[in-house]
Formats: sequence, C-alpha cells, structure tokens
Amino acid sequence: MLGQVLFSGLALGSIYGLVALGFVVIFKATDVFNFAQGMFVVCGAYLAVTAISLLGLPFPVAVLFIVAVAALMGMGIHALLIRPLSGRPILSIIMLTIALSIVLRALIEIVYGPAGRTLASPLPSGSFAFAGLRISQLHLTAALVSWFCMITFGLFFRFTSAGLLMRAAADSHEAATISGVRVDAMNRLAWAIGFTLAAIGGLFLGQLQIVSTELESIGLLALPAVVIGGLQSIPGAILGGLLVGIIEQLASTYISPKSSDVVIYALLLAILLLRPWGLLGQKAVNRV
Amino acid sequence: MTTNDTTNRAIRARKFPTGEATRWAMRLAAPAFACLVASAAIAQEAPQDGVYADRIDWGVLMDLSGPTSASQSIWVAGLQDRIRKTNEAGGVHGRRINVLAEDNRFNAATDRIAFEKLVGQTPVIAISGMGTSASQVALAPTIKAGKVPIVATYTSTKALSEPVSPMVYNGFCGYKEMAQAGVGHFVDKLKLKAPRVITVAIESAGGKEYHDYMAEAVGKLGGTAHHVTMKVTAVDVTPQILEIMDKKPDFITIYGVPNTAILTMKALQQYGVNIPAFGITYLGAPQIFQSMGPQAGANYNFVSCFTPSGTDNAPGNVEMSAFADKVGRGAMKEDINYVAGWVAGQMISEALDRTGKAATRAKLVETLSKGFTVDTKGLSALITYTPQNNTGPVLFRMFGYDFEAKKFKGSGEFADSAKYIQ
Amino acid sequence: MSDLAAPKPEAAAAAPTSGKLRRAALLALGLAVLLYIPVLLTDRSIFGIRLTNMQLLNLGLTQINLMLISMLGALSLNYLTGCAGLISIGHAAFYATGAMAAAIFGTQLGWPFPVVLMMAAIAGAAVGVLAGLPSLRVQGLYFVLSTMAVHYLVSFVFLEYQFRFFDVVGIPFGTPSLGGFDLNTPMRWYFFLLVLVALVYVGLSNTLRTREGRALLAMRDHERAVTSLGVDVRVLRIKAFGLSSAIAAVAGALYAYYLSNATSETFGINFAIQFIAMIIIGGMGSLRGALIGAAVWLLLPSVIAGFAAEIGRGPGIVGSLLGEHRAQLVQLIFGVLVIVLLIFAPGGLVSLGERLKGLIGFRRKG
Repeated sequence: MLGQVLFSGLALGSIYGLVALGFVVIFKATDVFNFAQGMFVVCGAYLAVTAISLLGLPFPVAVLFIVAVAALMGMGIHALLIRPLSGRPILSIIMLTIALSIVLRALIEIVYGPAGRTLASPLPSGSFAFAGLRISQLHLTAALVSWFCMITFGLFFRFTSAGLLMRAAADSHEAATISGVRVDAMNRLAWAIGFTLAAIGGLFLGQLQIVSTELESIGLLALPAVVIGGLQSIPGAILGGLLVGIIEQLASTYISPKSSDVVIYALLLAILLLRPWGLLGQKAVNRV
Repeated sequence: MTTNDTTNRAIRARKFPTGEATRWAMRLAAPAFACLVASAAIAQEAPQDGVYADRIDWGVLMDLSGPTSASQSIWVAGLQDRIRKTNEAGGVHGRRINVLAEDNRFNAATDRIAFEKLVGQTPVIAISGMGTSASQVALAPTIKAGKVPIVATYTSTKALSEPVSPMVYNGFCGYKEMAQAGVGHFVDKLKLKAPRVITVAIESAGGKEYHDYMAEAVGKLGGTAHHVTMKVTAVDVTPQILEIMDKKPDFITIYGVPNTAILTMKALQQYGVNIPAFGITYLGAPQIFQSMGPQAGANYNFVSCFTPSGTDNAPGNVEMSAFADKVGRGAMKEDINYVAGWVAGQMISEALDRTGKAATRAKLVETLSKGFTVDTKGLSALITYTPQNNTGPVLFRMFGYDFEAKKFKGSGEFADSAKYIQ
Repeated sequence: MSDLAAPKPEAAAAAPTSGKLRRAALLALGLAVLLYIPVLLTDRSIFGIRLTNMQLLNLGLTQINLMLISMLGALSLNYLTGCAGLISIGHAAFYATGAMAAAIFGTQLGWPFPVVLMMAAIAGAAVGVLAGLPSLRVQGLYFVLSTMAVHYLVSFVFLEYQFRFFDVVGIPFGTPSLGGFDLNTPMRWYFFLLVLVALVYVGLSNTLRTREGRALLAMRDHERAVTSLGVDVRVLRIKAFGLSSAIAAVAGALYAYYLSNATSETFGINFAIQFIAMIIIGGMGSLRGALIGAAVWLLLPSVIAGFAAEIGRGPGIVGSLLGEHRAQLVQLIFGVLVIVLLIFAPGGLVSLGERLKGLIGFRRKG
C-alpha cells in the first residue's frame, strides 16, 4: 500500500515539478511571481485539444505545434505585458498576472465553449504490474517526460552558452548588460520556456483528467512546490514538486484528502520561518 | 479675458464662494442632469412585475463564468432554446418571453446582488435556476416571504424546498431520490441482500448531504455505506482507490464534478477493479464517458430523471434534438444539463400560459400553487406539482453509454423506479 | 500617501475664509449625495420620474452595501501596505476569522450584535498578530507567501468548525440589531455601514498622524534610520498588522451577517486576491485609493454587464456574441481594463486623477 501511494505521489509530483520548473525559470529571469502559471497549463491543454482533436494532426506534429505556439505565447506575453512593467512593485506585477489569467480564461471559454473537452491522444492508457505495484502507463509516461524535460533544461542551463547567458542575466542584470548579454532576449526566452513547460504539464493533466479551465487550480499547486524548493533554485523546484506530490498522496491516505492542503501549507510556513530561501535555494532573502 | 468677464466671475464667486472645482462640477452636472431628465421623460412604461405590452421578463440566476459554469451554462442554453421555441411559435398570449440570465459566478454575494436586481431593478415575473446552494440557503427566508416565485430550480436545498412553499418549484432531480433510485436499481439488478456501498464525493457540503441520503437508503436494506472524499482538483486518486479496494463494495456512487467521475473510473480500471458505479444526474455528459474510454466507461452509469438526447424516440426527445440541431446547439444536446434546462423552459412556457393574459407575480403564484402537471412527452416522467408537494421530477432511469453507436442507452422505464422512491 | 499629507496647495493659496467655506460647501454637497443615493436606488426615480435600470448604471443598493463592506477590507489592507510596507494575501482569512467569531458569539451564544463585532475585532487582532509574526524573519514576497499559508490554515479550521457545529450548507446568521434598531433593510444597512466606513477612514488617517504612525511611514522607506531613532520597528509592524486584521475581521462578521449565511467556500483565495486588486486599482498606500478601488472592483463588472445586455439585444454579430458569451465578455473587458490601468497608471486611479486634475488646471491657466 505504501509503495503504491509513494509511486503515485512521485508520478504526480513529477508533473508538479515540471510546472514548478517553468515557474522558477520565469521568476529567476524576470522576478515575476507568476499567478498565471496555472492558466498557462490550461492553455497547453487546450492547445492539445486544438492540435489533436480539432486539427487532427498526427501526434508528433501536434506536440511540435503545442511547443511552438506555447513558446510564441510566452514571448508575446513578455513583450506586451511584462517588459513595460519591469521595475514596478511586486504586487503590481502579481496583479498583472492575475488579470492576465482572468483574460485568458474568458478568451478560452469564448472560443471553446464552457463544457469540458475530452483529449484523446495515442499515449498509452493501460497499466501493468511491477514488483507488486500497479503502474499506470499514463502516469509513468507523464513522469518520464517530465524528468526528460527537467534533465534537458538542467543540462541546457549548465552547459550551453544560451543557458549560461540566461543564468548570467538572471544573477545580475547590470553586470550582464555591461558584458553585452542581451538581457531582454534572455528574458523573452525564459518566458517562452516557462510557458512551454506549463503547456506540456497541461497536455498530461488534460489527459489524466478532462480539459477545462478548472485545470488552473492544479497548475497553481506548483506555487507551494516552488517556495518549498526555493524560489531561485531549479533543482529546488523539482524537489518541491516531488515533495508536494508525495505529501498530498500520503496525507490523503493516512489523514484525509482535505488535510493535504493544510499539511502542504504548514510545511510551506515552516520553511518560510526556518529557511525562507527554500530547501535548495541560496540565502539572499533580503534583496527580494 | 475681458474685464467684464472677470468682474462677473468675481461677483459669482462672491455669491457662491465654492470655488473652481464646484463650478466645474456644476457646469458638467447641469447638462448631464438635463439629459437624464429628458431621457427619463421619454422613458418606457413603468415595469409591472416584468410584464410589458410585448414581452414578459423572466429571470435566470446561474453560474455562467465561475467554477461550475461548465454544467450550469449548458442548462441555461437548454432553457433559452426551449423559450426560443415558444417565442417562435408566437410566445404566450401574444407576448414574447424574454430571459434575463444573470451570472452569479458561484459566489453568494454576486448572487444576492443579482437576485435583488431581478426583484427590483429589472423586475422579472419569476426566477429560475439558483444553482448555488449556499446562496439558496441564504436567500430562502427572503424568497419565501417575498413576491417573486422560484420556478424550476437547478438544485434543491432543504432550506428552500422544505417545508413546501407556494414560492418554490423544484425543477431538477433531487439528491434524495437519486440515491433511492440508484440504490434500488443496483440492488435489484445485482440481486444484493445487504449492499455495501461507497459514496465517492468531492469534499463539499453537498457531497456530505448526498452521502447521508445514500446511507439512509442503504441502511433501510440492512446494508452499509462508506464515504470516500477527494479534492475537486484531484489529479490522482490512488489513496481513494486503495480504500475502495479495501472495503470491497458491491457498487459505488459518485458525486462531484466531471473530473471526479473520470478519475475514479479510470483509476479503478487501472487497478484492475471491476465495480459498477453510478453518478448523480449532473454527471451525465458524453464527454465524461469518452474521457473514461470504453473499458472504464462500461462500468459507469448515471441516474437521471431526464432522458438525454438520442436515447430513444419519444416525441419530446425527437422534438428537442431537432430544435437543438436547428439552432446550432447540436453539440450540447446530449448533455443532461441541456435536457434539464429544456424541460425547465417548457415548465416556464406552460406556467405563463396557464397564468393567462393579465399576468402578474401574484397571479402566477396563485396559478402554480393550485398544482399543475408538465408533460414532457417522454423526456421525463410526468412532472406533477401539488399544493402539498413541489419536489418536481421524482422518477428515474439508469443510463449507460454505447461506445460503438456513440449514444446513451437507458434501462427500463421511469415508472420502474416508483417502488424505490419514498 | 498624497491624500494624507498637508492640505492641497491650491486650497492653501486661496483666502482662508473662502477655502473653509468651499470645503464646507463641498462637504455638504457630498453628504447630500450620500444621503440621497439609497433613496434614489430604492425608489429608482428622481422627483417622481422613473429612471431606467441603465440610467442608474445597473446598480442596486445591495451592491453599494457590499461595496461598503469591501471598503473596510480594502482600507485595512491599504493601511497595512501603505504604511507598514507589509502585503497580505491573508485578508480572506481575517474575514473568515471574523465570521467565525460572529458564529460563535452571535449565532451560538446569542450575544448582542455590538459585542459580537467587538469579539470579532479581538479575534481578528489575535490571529493577525500571529499571522504577522513571520514578518520578524521574512519580508516582501516571502511574507506574502506566509500570509497565503495562513489563509489555508484558517480555511481548514473554518471548514472543520462549520462541519462540526452546523449544517453542511453553512453557518446561519440572524438579523443583527443595534439596541432596538434592526438592520433588516438594505437602507438601514447602508447608513450603518456608511458611518462605520467613515469612522474607520478617519480613524486610520488619524492613526497615521500619531507619532507611531509617522514612525511606520518612515519605516516603510528607511527602516534602518527609524531603528536608529530607538523605535522598535518590528513591534510597530505587528501592531499595524493586528489593527488591520481586526478591521478586516469586523468586515468579515458584517459580510456574514449581510449575506445571512457563510460557508468555508465563501472566503476562498480569490476573495483575498480581490482586495489586492482593489488597492492596486485605487492606488497603493492611499486610503482614498482603497475606497476608489473597492468601488471600481464591486461596481464596474455590473456596469459593464448592464451595457453588454443593452447592446446584446441588438442584431448582428456583436449582439449574438454578447448574447452567447456575455459573462465571459464582462470578465474579458474587466481583465483588460485592469491590465491597461496597471500599465498606464501605475499609481492607481488616485494618481491618475491627480494627473488629470493637473492637466485641466494647466490648460485653464494657459
């Protein structure tokens, strides 16, 4: 029983981790605490509906379509909304992202109608037994893809020149500007990546559930994950996501489903009080 | 600026030493006020309970952009289409029915604002819907003591529907009857003695209420009911499934949002558990079955007092399906919420028709409170209201989905469930 | 904090007597309008001439009353943000605390309404001080997040409390009474709330003028300087948090009484976010901005919806779009307006108003 719960927690946590990673990439680059991240997840799910069900694209093309449109939308949002507001107080920018999610939600409901949509993709949906555990293929795929994305981005940030430039830009805008890094382009790239990661999360969540604007609240569970792991830390986001997933499943099993939020937020509060920079973040809190 | 002007200004300033700002305000206010009065003078007739020479205003209070809009707005679409049909056929007593649909965003405060708007600001003869149970409870005393009847509710709370009031007429299947009909159906079909049942519900007040009805219905047969909850936003329900596997129920029942049913059935299948299940009426939409897939969907049913489009060839069903296709709502017609809204629209049309030419709120209440019957021509059983009972639709059928034909399939007749309902 | 500063320069420049008279006249005019609003919105006519719903901007008195209750929340939040530099996403939690206190002392124990409000304030202050404790260690975004955690903890307690002691559909609240004066009509509520909002507004403005208030203001900008003057900034900050949440809790109790029923779902995270929206729209840090922001947030959607319904009756694509998706369009327009405001009026409507005033004044002189 415990093993089963832990496995499902890990699978769930991997998706949270993926969305959380997108969140951190955006936060690190542009200092934007993005409340619209949940809506980005919804956008991803509806992009999948558009590509697979409405346009009837073959699955690999559909994935490319989702990634391309998501990246474009991320860049568009950065250019139109985020850049004009750089340097404003955090609360204004938080509010902007909230308003953005109101707008996105309304647009989606106008275009696609209010009823939920079924997402039928060729991803495997059966299950098999392994070491006494029942493994859902869809959960496993979601976890594996999430890990693939997380590792790819980890390597990207560590070893490619673009990744290094992004890190430089995130660490110090002035220094990066002086040394000729195009901070603006790097920030745009960060938004594209953040949106894309959320959209991939949406692809899986839409598959596990039904596609509707209500997926937003699941996307927002990435929020505590990010804080627990450390707002500035990419491995932290992944760890936070996994922790939130596992805690949610354990609390649901051994206490009650409604206690899971409380346990997660109690942990968040404890982390904020004892180690505000998060489990894997760096200690530089006063600057924020 | 001339000297004269300046002097005038000074004099005026002395008379009204209120300064520039006020004078500016006055200058703006005067014409604005004149316009207001002028437009008011040519204003329309004073509204009388929402009844005008050419139309009757009828209010609808539902969630159109909030968390439950996916089902509630489809109900409103069904209602509007049925009213449109009435209007296309000449309306009632020469008047068009004009539906004023207010969005409450599933929020008690917005609901209260919209309710008072429909009572006083843009008066309507009656109100339908009221889909937010918390605000139903909050408004219940006001409604019962007021003048505006609630005809065809989307959900029924005890606070509003008990004791019977001439101001309230339920329009949707009730949870108590859903539980009784569902339990009766499965106990007979599976030939059970002391059924063991699990209610899977989202964590909410309604879920707990529904489970209590289940426990009562199962308890009468000497069985046991167990309550398993999940979050509205759940993504993985492994802990709940493990609990279900542990309890080994004969069947389960599901209360919640579409996601609740989809996740539960999919996860049961993944864990290789083969238990039949039925959802509440609100969980009857083709998308729900399609998301589950043929394997998991084979075990899922929903209990309903309405027949979804295409299930049979009852005249009411054929008529509704044809009209929905005609107005471009073909995609919605199979959703049980659309059917329920359609029936509500019929109820409204007939209620106004009975009330007669000189319709007022009081006249409508007087007409309805004597009791009346709505014949939906097979979309539901005969819906009867009496001065002692305003429960509305009380007879049920169980529906499953035929994945090959992409159609719902119903079992038995509405009348079969009569023996289960108390 | 422009509105909390010295009198306006133009007023100071004018002759003292005329300035005073002008103020008095404006005040009288304002009072007259405030007294007339409920009559207008109840009778829905001026001098016996009936006005259409849209001429009254689709507004009703209940909306105004809920706006007044929200103003209490927005005022207290802006006081906190404006002067203590603390941002809270926990205001829904304080509302919930107040509602819970009202349920215990009002619904369960049956204490008189004014005492219940007092208990709500005390409970709110207590929870507020606890919720403010993390401010000793963290600031900025991290503090915002800690208040969010507090929100979820309080929501959980509320849910448990509701399910344990009351029906599943919520906690009922009776008609409150102020020593024989029953608050049983929107009109009576209006005058009661109006007085309360005025008192809180004046009270908070005065608090800001005291020594501690000035220290708080100074603290927001130059924390170290204030500390060096021998004022314990941390204690001040927690005091401010306590005061702010006490006001929010009273507002929460009133909200519950006004709606006559409260559930754990009433005070969700969106409820908290709306207060942040209000103070940003109105102007962060300004008490007047809080009032304006609350008014816009509560009234504007309804005004847009009213106009949309008017146009929606017309034919054509616009009409059908409005007919089919009115609710979504209202949200869309509202969201876009907020974004436009954030980009082009960073200081909120208060600063926008001042800029416009400056512009008009400049033109007239020219």
